[in-house]
Amino acid sequence: MSISVLDALRPGKKPALLGLVLVFGLFVGAWVHGKYFSDRSPIQPIEFSHMIHATDNEIPCQHCHIYADRTPVAGVPSVSKCMGCHNSVPSVREHPEILKLVAYWEKREPIPWIKVHDLPDFVHFTHKRHIRAGLACQECHGPVETMNRITRVATMRMPWCVDCHTERNVEHGRDCWTCHK
Amino acid sequence: MSTFVEKLRQYRKPGYYDKFDYHWTMTIDLDRCTGCEACMVACQAENNLPIVGEKRFAENREIKWIRIERYWEGEYPDVKMRFIPMLCQHCDDAPCETACPVFATYHNQDGLNTQIYNRCIGTRTCAVYCPYEVRYFNWFTYTWDEPLEQQLNPDVTVREKGVMEKCTFCIQRIRIAKDNAKDDDRRRVRDGEVVPACVQSCPTEALVFGNSNDPEAKVSKMMKNPRGYKVLEELNTTPSIVYLTKVHS
Repeated sequence: MSISVLDALRPGKKPALLGLVLVFGLFVGAWVHGKYFSDRSPIQPIEFSHMIHATDNEIPCQHCHIYADRTPVAGVPSVSKCMGCHNSVPSVREHPEILKLVAYWEKREPIPWIKVHDLPDFVHFTHKRHIRAGLACQECHGPVETMNRITRVATMRMPWCVDCHTERNVEHGRDCWTCHK
Repeated sequence: MSTFVEKLRQYRKPGYYDKFDYHWTMTIDLDRCTGCEACMVACQAENNLPIVGEKRFAENREIKWIRIERYWEGEYPDVKMRFIPMLCQHCDDAPCETACPVFATYHNQDGLNTQIYNRCIGTRTCAVYCPYEVRYFNWFTYTWDEPLEQQLNPDVTVREKGVMEKCTFCIQRIRIAKDNAKDDDRRRVRDGEVVPACVQSCPTEALVFGNSNDPEAKVSKMMKNPRGYKVLEELNTTPSIVYLTKVHS
């Protein structure tokens, strides 16, 4: 005796068919949610590709995220920073995504990027200390340089932080007030 | 089980953090305190303390991490007003720490009695155990009217309903000072680099803050003053704050 879905597709077995469609729909729904609607990988106002910038054109992370080794926040580049380069890159000037950027520039508005790596307000995190300790950006942010749309790789939850602090034997790394505020 | 108890005993031993770099301590010179309450205002601004309003104040639900207690001494007409600033004493043998069922309050390696807000479940046991009455409970979620929310300190959590809170010795400032020390490749924070809001605002410099593990620190010298005493010392809480008694003429 073999197991076949054909049996369920027969008109007499409607409830089974419905169940099958429901399960299938759940999987599709989960995939669509993860792909397009989750906060792990939101659709940004401009389809910015780290792949093109960091891999193809070999721009280092801290060329744009200039505060990463100096302050708690890494910093999202200003529109003028984007335009500083793109003004002198005529090859892509007519690209629809670049036109969006120019539109923001002309409206004198910041680009409303959606934050992907967002920590709760009760957490104290400083990029400076982690960069100066010699961590590469990729250890927390994943292979950003290969991403066309930025996706959160790590959970950014407390066990994940504590595991790393324990593994690397960070001084007072497991004291609550090192990270909580 | 027995090893756990041993560990706990080791942990509870007063001065166990001598092997660490810091033991944050404060001295309060009552001879200099004029009761101006500048420290209270500074604390309010620094630590996002809510203004609870007149009604809640009357219900004893105000939140003041540092307060000035006023006492009258003597009989009329020979009456004198005395002040004593009261804040969390960061006791070595803190009664509140033994009480917390979820370890939301604990003693850290810097000699600070700390409170983790998002771990707190609001049993209020610690406030009952505290002989200094310096723990404050958030009975409500307080909000700040526009544009006052703009002045909230981003380095301090805005606490919500059901959470206990108290003086932290401005741990956010300690953290910044340590951060700067690391940038300069220094092992320790220099004396005077960490200044809590109350100490900074005190016009008569009655409050002195520092690391008492460092014998050269100003606070260590102040602690040797023969006028020094600790509040409710007989309860064996071994507070980290030394008060210098008022000189009577």
